[in-house]
Amino acid sequence: MAAYIIRRVLWGIVTIVAVIFLTFLLFRVFPTADPATLLAGKGATTQRIAMIRQELGLNHSWLVQFWIYLKGILFHFNLGYSYYTQRSVLSEIGTALPATLSLTIGAVVLWILIGIPIGILSALKRGSIWDRTAMIGALTFVSMPTFWFGLILIYFFAQSLGLLQIFPGPGSYVGFTADPVKWFGALILPWLVLALTQAAIYSRLLRGNLLDVMGEDYIRTARAKGLPNRRVVYKHGVRSAITPVLTVLAIDLGALLGGAVITERIFEIHGVGLLNITAIGNSDFPVVQGTTVLAAVFVVVANIGVDIAYAYLDPRVRYT
Amino acid sequence: MRKYRSVAALAATGALTLGVAACGSSGSSNSSSSSSSGGSSGGSTAAAPKLPLKAGEDASAESLTGGKQGGTLTVLSSEGFSHLDPGQAYFALDYQVVYAMQRPLFVYMPNSQTELSPNLATTIPTAANGGITDGGKTVTVHIQPDVKFAPPVNRVVTAADVKYAMERMANPNVAGGYWTSYFQKAIVGAAAAKGGPISGIEAPNATTLVIHLTQPVANTIVQAMSLPGTAPVPESVAGPLDKHAPTNFGVTQLTATGPYMIQGEQNGNSITSGFTPGKSLTLVRNPNWSASTYAGPYKPPAYLDQINITNGGDPQVIGPQVLKGTSMVQLDTPSKSTVQEAYTKYPSQITFTQGAGDHYLTLNNVKGPFTNVNVRRAVYANLDRVAIIKEKGGALTGTPGTHFIYPGTSGFVQAGAYAGPNYPWAVHTSGDLAVAKQYMKAAGYPSGAYTGNATVTVVGSDNGADELAINQIVKQDMTELGLKVNLIQVDQSIMYSKYCMVPKAEVDGCPSGGWLRDFNDPYSILVPTFSTQAITPTANNNFGQVTDPTLDDMMQHAHLTIDPVQSAQAWAAADERIVNLAEAVPEDFDIQPNVFASNVHWVGDLWNEGGVNLAYTGLK
Repeated sequence: MAAYIIRRVLWGIVTIVAVIFLTFLLFRVFPTADPATLLAGKGATTQRIAMIRQELGLNHSWLVQFWIYLKGILFHFNLGYSYYTQRSVLSEIGTALPATLSLTIGAVVLWILIGIPIGILSALKRGSIWDRTAMIGALTFVSMPTFWFGLILIYFFAQSLGLLQIFPGPGSYVGFTADPVKWFGALILPWLVLALTQAAIYSRLLRGNLLDVMGEDYIRTARAKGLPNRRVVYKHGVRSAITPVLTVLAIDLGALLGGAVITERIFEIHGVGLLNITAIGNSDFPVVQGTTVLAAVFVVVANIGVDIAYAYLDPRVRYT
Repeated sequence: MRKYRSVAALAATGALTLGVAACGSSGSSNSSSSSSSGGSSGGSTAAAPKLPLKAGEDASAESLTGGKQGGTLTVLSSEGFSHLDPGQAYFALDYQVVYAMQRPLFVYMPNSQTELSPNLATTIPTAANGGITDGGKTVTVHIQPDVKFAPPVNRVVTAADVKYAMERMANPNVAGGYWTSYFQKAIVGAAAAKGGPISGIEAPNATTLVIHLTQPVANTIVQAMSLPGTAPVPESVAGPLDKHAPTNFGVTQLTATGPYMIQGEQNGNSITSGFTPGKSLTLVRNPNWSASTYAGPYKPPAYLDQINITNGGDPQVIGPQVLKGTSMVQLDTPSKSTVQEAYTKYPSQITFTQGAGDHYLTLNNVKGPFTNVNVRRAVYANLDRVAIIKEKGGALTGTPGTHFIYPGTSGFVQAGAYAGPNYPWAVHTSGDLAVAKQYMKAAGYPSGAYTGNATVTVVGSDNGADELAINQIVKQDMTELGLKVNLIQVDQSIMYSKYCMVPKAEVDGCPSGGWLRDFNDPYSILVPTFSTQAITPTANNNFGQVTDPTLDDMMQHAHLTIDPVQSAQAWAAADERIVNLAEAVPEDFDIQPNVFASNVHWVGDLWNEGGVNLAYTGLK
């Protein structure tokens, strides 16, 4: 098991380095704005732009530039400096990350609390009015684009904007330490946007898996042995059926921690997603690269965590 | 300054159909001879098109008084600022904030695009009052003796501070956006300046600034000194920061002289507690500012106690927030859906400002098929400007462009006003293929269509459905002339910085190049964009690389003409030459909408796209 974990971690590092390389390459190969020209300002002379190119190392070959960048990350944990704000990318991300964590973790908790029970009940009461209602609801939420759904919730429920004006609207987010009550209120609508669409996916996924698992021989054996139905369903059925759901959760969690761009933008939550989209608009390459690296790290870590969790959840899985 | 289309236009949910016809009639009323090489200049000067504005929507009718003292204004903007350093501030959005904190020598009245008023200065220098002497080669400015920097600097502003502010624009670490365009060649000793003292800028005493010019261009320089770069800067604060590349002045520290300053600035000039780039900016009253230190008509009441600016929201959300909220304004361009909603449901909360710049299609004058003047005239004749305006959103977003000095600028009327010069290729704002084909024939293509082998590369912006549609209109109109068009669509910043502003990229056409004048002088519209001297290897604003010695001479003559009326006529003649030779093709004269909450007494700067003037705006 330990050997497996070490192997996964090492491959995880390789994956992250590959992501860094590809991102770096994309910015150099495809048409992008010249960062030196952007940084130099409108009145810059050619000499000034050339000087900036030298300062940023842009006059080196892209392979050398990549090596310099990689060294900075691996040995100094330095993601560079924002062309736009001149602050370190690490501090920019550090400022934005708490908001993204608040949004993501809250949404994950909510969609698990909603999606998992609905999926289980739908599977157990297959074909019932409950099952059909739940699945129609799930299909509806799955079909809604996040952007549109967010605007709809704002239109109906946001204070000073909506028809019913129940919840704080866009721009009301504050940090937890600044005002926990306001923090919570400001996240209700964004959490709902993320959670309801994701819960729909998870309920459908779990329902399908559980239906397959409940038809397995070992489930029949467990019932035949006289085990209580609750135990059969949860200890044997759900435990097996939930592993694919965990895989999806890992990917979703990692991706969202890299920034729920649309939700953050609509609700004006200054998290990593909004930081990223602003940086893209400003051609602020170091920040975009930094947030991409961050997202990759989260996805890799989350997947490693899930792989390890499999061994505990599913007794059929053993690692060497 | 180059106009960047606001991010707000990205999220358009549909065309702004206001149930009114596009203003095609204003420019198409002239009949003309079929002369292929000339035309009478100064065609019929049609009156301004009648826009379907409701009561209160015409920005030019705004009242400068009516706000109440106190209150906090919330300013929402999807876009952030590029620079808060007055020496670097370049874009319209930056100006709205910088002018609330800084006092350049002069400023335009908010309700005028042409009336200049003293700000830090005591009067506008003229030949009559002795401010302009030496045949227009010396400008003497007296500054108010009792203006103070905000805390912690606290001391009285002197002419030396203004001298330093102007000189630091030449520092490569500051790289003032218009230093090279307007000051570098005009001021004695400035050509080789790198941020150190400039011999042509003198401060003989604490309240007197003397500028020595290389040519008699005092009138232009006085107008140019309305730019924020003439706002005083204390060397003790900015000097050490300017050693950093780029400068940290305006990033970590700043000083104010205007009615407002950044929250926290009193603590060692540090602005990091009140300013988070891309996120928020909080302005509070400058305790050292006094309303009694203004000598001219510009006297900002500074009603507000605090201004909270937040950046980064979605334009589709910001607009309704502002319209339905209280004590709010939108800083950047509202989305089309917001404009439509405001126009129909909240007419008292939206204004439209004409003369907010222009957009035009540039054509490569030095390489490719467009080196032929008649091919350019053919493109000009066939471009459907009415369709372009329709794609932008209709009559309240712009009027068909007919030349390049746009409304509200000196020389506009002399250049033909809305009708423009009366050339056969220029008068059909909806495009006329038959006329265009005549010019293709004159260009040496008897069939009326291009038969050469070249493929023209057109690079357009993909920032929004309207931009994409305009690119297609341009492509189609060129294709109808037999041209093979390779259309590349990229982000606007890439379009500018990697293609259109780089002569080496050899782009044949750039649609929707936007320009906003820097001050009320056609010099700031035509010279940076059409003069040979303006062509640079990078950051080139003369996209089409227009290299026309006769035009250069005409613009130089206009620049050196001291009498304002004669100068306007001279600039109009230069403008007409650009139309005559079709060195670029005008698309539209822009109209800028601005939205605000119902309890806001809005005052916008007409000279700056009607953008909010935070020193005059208040709450009702």
